[in-house]
Amino acid sequence: MKVRTAGAVTAALVCASVLVTAVAAVPVARSTVTYETPAVTLIREDGKRVSLARELDDGRPVLLNFIFTTCSSICPLTSRTLEEFQRKLGSEAARVHLMSISIDPEQDTPARLTEYARKFHAGPEWQYYTGTVAASLAAQRAFDVYRGEKMSHTPVTLMRAAPGEPWLRIEGFVTPDELLDDYRNLLASLGSPARASR
Amino acid sequence: MIPNEPRGAGRAAALALPLLMWACALGAAHASPAAGETLYRRGLLPSGEPVRAVREAGASMQGLDAACVNCHRRSGLGSSEGRITIPPISGRYLFAPQGKRLEELGIPFVDTARLNHEPYTDATLAGAIREGSGASGRPLNYLMPRYQIDDAAMGELIAYLKGMTVGPAPGASASVLHFATIITPDADPVKRRGMLDVMNKYFIDKNGAVARTKAPTLYSSHTMMFRVERRWQLHVWELTGAAATWGAQLRQHLAAEPVFAVVSGLGGSNWEPVHRFCEQQSLPCLFPNVEAPAGNDDDFYSVYFSRGVLLEAQLIARQLAEAGEPIRRVVQVFRAGDVGEKAARDLQALRGGSGQQIVNRVLKAHGSVQELGAALREVGSADALVLWLRPEDLDSLERVPVRTSRVWISGEMGGLERAPLPASWRAATRMAYPVDLPGQRVVRVDYALSWFRIRKIPLVAQQVQVDTYLACGLVSETLSHMVDAFVRDYLMERVEMALDHRALTGYYPRLTLAPGQRFASKGGYMVRFTDPQGTKVAALGDWITP
Repeated sequence: MKVRTAGAVTAALVCASVLVTAVAAVPVARSTVTYETPAVTLIREDGKRVSLARELDDGRPVLLNFIFTTCSSICPLTSRTLEEFQRKLGSEAARVHLMSISIDPEQDTPARLTEYARKFHAGPEWQYYTGTVAASLAAQRAFDVYRGEKMSHTPVTLMRAAPGEPWLRIEGFVTPDELLDDYRNLLASLGSPARASR
Repeated sequence: MIPNEPRGAGRAAALALPLLMWACALGAAHASPAAGETLYRRGLLPSGEPVRAVREAGASMQGLDAACVNCHRRSGLGSSEGRITIPPISGRYLFAPQGKRLEELGIPFVDTARLNHEPYTDATLAGAIREGSGASGRPLNYLMPRYQIDDAAMGELIAYLKGMTVGPAPGASASVLHFATIITPDADPVKRRGMLDVMNKYFIDKNGAVARTKAPTLYSSHTMMFRVERRWQLHVWELTGAAATWGAQLRQHLAAEPVFAVVSGLGGSNWEPVHRFCEQQSLPCLFPNVEAPAGNDDDFYSVYFSRGVLLEAQLIARQLAEAGEPIRRVVQVFRAGDVGEKAARDLQALRGGSGQQIVNRVLKAHGSVQELGAALREVGSADALVLWLRPEDLDSLERVPVRTSRVWISGEMGGLERAPLPASWRAATRMAYPVDLPGQRVVRVDYALSWFRIRKIPLVAQQVQVDTYLACGLVSETLSHMVDAFVRDYLMERVEMALDHRALTGYYPRLTLAPGQRFASKGGYMVRFTDPQGTKVAALGDWITP
C-alpha cells in the first residue's frame, strides 16, 4: 500500500470533509492510496466464483467496503449510507459498481448475503462477496482494513474512479451526501489538469 | 429529522415546558417494564407500531433496526466495536453522580462506562433519546439515532432502563460463583466421566489460584482483584427418567442451587428440553459437547461449539446434491433414539424436493449385527448409503458386503479418524468430519492434553475432554473481562467477544460468535481413510461451510 499526499483531488476533498465533519460531529479522514489487488477468488452472493481483480476492474468506478451480516452497530449504518448513496444516484447508479466483502465469510453464506442485500435494497450494481477465510483475509489485508477480528473493525469506504487509478480512502462515518460529493469530485478529477500533470 | 434543541441556559428554558407536560403524562400513565422492554429489544412502541428514528445526516430507520438492543445490548451494559465505545444505558450508570468511581458507588465496573458527564435526569435522558444531546448538552455519537417517541412510550422506556439489574445475578455471591453442568440419562457414561474429571480438576485449580488472593485492608489495585475473584463451585445436575420431565427437574435444580451459568453438558438425541430451559430461565449455557444441539441462531442463552451431527447432515446433503453421477435413492441407517435419528431427519428435509428418494432404515436401540446386515441387504450399486452409526456398529460392518461405492458416515458418531471402519468399506466411504484435521489441530489440542497429563486425568474421551477444558477456559477468560459485573446477559455478550480472541480453539480451526450467531464452528471437511487400517485420513477438498 502506498499513501500519497494531497493532489488537487485530495485537497478539495479535505476541505469538504472539514465542513461536513463540523456538521456531523464525527471525524472523517480521507487519504489517497494505491493498493495492489490480491489474486483471490471470492464467491458472489449469486453463488458464482469470481476473481476479485476482475470484479474491481469491470471498467466502472467502484465503491468498496467490508461488512458482516450479524454486525449490529457499524455495518447497518455503513450499509444504509451506501443504500442512500445508490438511491441519490438514481439512474446514474448503474454506472458505478458497489462492492461489499464479508469479513465473517464462514457465517455469511451467499444466501445470508442475498438476504442482507435485499434488506438494504441493493440494486444490480451492488454486489456482496464471501469466500474462504483466507480469501477474505487477503482482501482485508490488501486494503488495510484487517483489524484482528471482526469486532475490531472500523468504518472504511474505498472509492476508485477507474481501473489503474489510486483509491480514495474514507475512514469514519461518512454521510450519503458527503459520499456523493466525494464520488463526483473523484470522477471530475479524472480529467483535471492537476491529475494530467501528475 | 428532529431539530436540535438550543444549548446551555436557553436550552434549559426551552425544555421546561415540555418537561412539565411530560411529567404529567408520566404521572397519568402506568409505566410497565414489559412495554419498555419491547421497545428496547424489538423496536416496537406500545401501540405495536415500529419506532422510527433518524440519524443526524438524515438516514432513517425503524423497528428492530432501530432497537436500542442492537448497540447497547440486551444487558444494557454497552459494547465496543472497533474504536467505538457504546456506553452502558442501564439506569444505574445513566443516573450516577459525576466524577465518582464506580466502585465508590457500588456499581459494577464496565469498561465502556464513563462518569464524566452530569447525571441524567428523566428529562435530559428523553432529550438524549429524541435529540441526540448528552446530559451535558454535547451531541452524542453519530451512531446514536434520534427517536420519535411520545411521552407515554418514553416513560415506559425510561422505567425499563431504570429497572435493568446490574447484578450480581443469582449464583454469584460475594465469595462464590456457582456453575452447573447438565447430564441427561442417555449420555455416554465414558464421556460423562471424562468431562467431569476435567471440570472437577479445573475448578480445583481455579480455586487454588483464588485462595492466594487476600482481602486488602486499604484501597489498592488489590481491591479490584478482591471484587473480581470468586471461588468456583460446580453443581452436577444429573437428570433421570423421561425427557418430558427434564424441564421440571432442571427448574427444581436451579431453585435449589441457583447458578450463574451452565458450563458444558452431555446428552443424547433430545437436547431440546435443556435448550428450552436455558432460554426460559435466561440462564447462560455454554455447550461444547452436544452432538445434536437444539434451537437456532435467534436464541440467546445457549452457545454450542458446533452443530455436530446436524452440521454433518448439511455437509452430506451438499455432497448428495453435487454428486457427479445422479443419485436416485439415498438409504439412511440409524438406531432409534440416537442422535443419528435427528441428523437423518434433517438430511431428509434438506433433500426434500430434490427428486432423490430418501429411505430410512431404523434399527432397534440396542439391536444385533444381523439387524444391521438385514437393513443393508437391499442397497444396490446405484444407491447412496448414509450410516449414522456408532463405532460398535461400524466395526460389525466387516461381515456385511459393500454394495455401493457411495457411502457416507458420521465422524461425530463414529469416532472421527478412530472410527473402526473395516478395510473393505474404506475405499467406498467418505466421512463427514466437522472438526479440524488431525495434523492441523495438534498444536491447539496438545496444550490441553499436557494439562491433563500433569494432573493425571485419564484420557477416555479426547474430544469431549479437550473441548470441556476449552469451555472452562473460555468462561474463566470471559469473567476476567467482566470484572465484577456478574450479569447473565452480559456473560453471553462477553463470550461472543472473547471467543474471537482465542488462539486455542481445541478441535476446531476457528470459533466465532456474534449477536445472532450461536454455533461457533461453522463448517467441516469431508475425509477418506487413506489406508486399509489405521487412523490416517485425507481431506477430500477444502473446509466446507454449508
